[in-house]
Amino acid sequence: MGESLLDVRMLNKAFGSIVTARDLNFSLCRGVITSIIGPNGAGKSTLINVLTGLLAADSGEIWFQGREVTREPIHRRVKLGLGRSFQVVNVFGNLTLFENLAIPVLALNRRAKGMIRSIAHLKEVREDVEMVLTQVGLIDEAYMVARSLSHGDQRLLEVAIALAAKPRLLFLDEPTAGMNPVERSRILETIRELSQTGEVTFAIVEHDMDIVFSLSDRVIALHKGKIIGDGSPDQIKMNPQVREVYLGEEVA
Amino acid sequence: MNQYWKYFLMLGCLGALVGIGFVSGPFVLYLATRIMILCIFALGYNLLLGRTGLLSFGHAAFFAIGAYGLAITSIHISAHPLLGILIGVTAAALLSLCIGFFCVRHTEIYFAMLTLAFGMMVFALIWNLRSITGGDDGLYGISRTAISLGIVNIPIRKDYQFYYFVLLFFVASVFLIHRIYSSPFGLALAGIRENHIRAEFAGLSVKAYRLGVFTVSGAFAGLAGSLSALLESNVAPFSAHWSHSAEPVLVSLIGGLQTFSGPLVGSIVFVALREVLQRFTYNWMFWFGVLLLAIIIGFRGGIVGSISDAFRKYSRP
Repeated sequence: MGESLLDVRMLNKAFGSIVTARDLNFSLCRGVITSIIGPNGAGKSTLINVLTGLLAADSGEIWFQGREVTREPIHRRVKLGLGRSFQVVNVFGNLTLFENLAIPVLALNRRAKGMIRSIAHLKEVREDVEMVLTQVGLIDEAYMVARSLSHGDQRLLEVAIALAAKPRLLFLDEPTAGMNPVERSRILETIRELSQTGEVTFAIVEHDMDIVFSLSDRVIALHKGKIIGDGSPDQIKMNPQVREVYLGEEVA
Repeated sequence: MNQYWKYFLMLGCLGALVGIGFVSGPFVLYLATRIMILCIFALGYNLLLGRTGLLSFGHAAFFAIGAYGLAITSIHISAHPLLGILIGVTAAALLSLCIGFFCVRHTEIYFAMLTLAFGMMVFALIWNLRSITGGDDGLYGISRTAISLGIVNIPIRKDYQFYYFVLLFFVASVFLIHRIYSSPFGLALAGIRENHIRAEFAGLSVKAYRLGVFTVSGAFAGLAGSLSALLESNVAPFSAHWSHSAEPVLVSLIGGLQTFSGPLVGSIVFVALREVLQRFTYNWMFWFGVLLLAIIIGFRGGIVGSISDAFRKYSRP
């Protein structure tokens, strides 16, 4: 295992009597593609929401690159390198792709507060935006309005927005949901390529087990807010508890 | 050529505005000055409503603070108009910073209601602090003394002189707000309007940006208030009433929320319609409401928004 990026210690989160995270302890390491799996209601999306700051933890600690971020607001976690994409497409619909990506680039460069100079004159912003658009293969659509893109391209754009903020750890919440096979292989290829550069580490919530087992280096299985399996894809496939509560017939 | 038409249009408008000052009588000058002041108010306000997606019903308070700031300075400290405007704008910006601090924690209806509540508190204070604000009488006798710049004195007492004085602030405000629209800050505001959660996850401190734009728009409301006090030579507490806050909302809706020039067109239509109707019918408020409704319903996206949409549709190859 490589250097630890994120450490979760005794994390708890509940909504009334529904417990979505119970005494969770785990670390995510640099360069290791980790998938978080579990049946519906296992607490996967809630876990991402707590780790990225959308929801507050009831108790426990979250450490990112040696710094406690449990109570840090979302935007500060993003600037530290903790990014995410959403289960449902979540882009700036009426802005162009260029503008969609310029926002995180400007926020990261601390230039977003400038009121006088036009964006058109900020050369380094343009270069950064074009680089990310090229990375995800959307450079030809740079001046199209985001909502006019296909669903698959909007999902790619969402990943691109997260990438533009230069994350060290990027959570992707069901990145292939609603995509056709071509779009799906395109986004998976992008994830693999970016992961190989070593700059971004991915943690993915995914329901499609073929994708989970082909893409991941490590799989964490959740059930009712508890970790019931943690290991390589092969270990998870063989884990009797995981097979019982989740994989069931798929592996059998 | 296509990209330059906006500049030609702008130069044409500026030429027309300069021309109005030369050829018009006092009534037209008065109306044109009022339109420009409303433009400053509405353009600043639309940074908040159209650009950031926040509906405020408290901006009359900042307008009034700008007006009272100038009036009190003029009566008690110095009649220098620039000093009065500086104090009026600063007071409005500070008040909007304080009120905004509490309001920007909320959005949508909660934000609107909080701004309304704070606005009404300011109105009540102005109404009750008779020794400072003149209570329900307001403050009057604000003189338009010459602007002393050391060796030169620039008079603004006559209507056409004051018209050019306001024109100067109008042009500067349009320029500044246009720059804000095309700046990184302006893009961040549009991002917050489109999707504030995504904006936060793009690394923006959404509350800080909302507070920033609330303060900037409050400062422009204060500038409009200060100029209005100079135009009317008096200031009344009803300038702080919430119903006055509806003016920039209507103006922005008429012209087009999502456009930069919407509030400019909206201000002209708003003031001109009201003035014309007041001359023809006793029931002018009723007909004014009917016409505003017709414009808002008939022009989805406002006058400017609808026209540019139609232009785009027909010019598509």
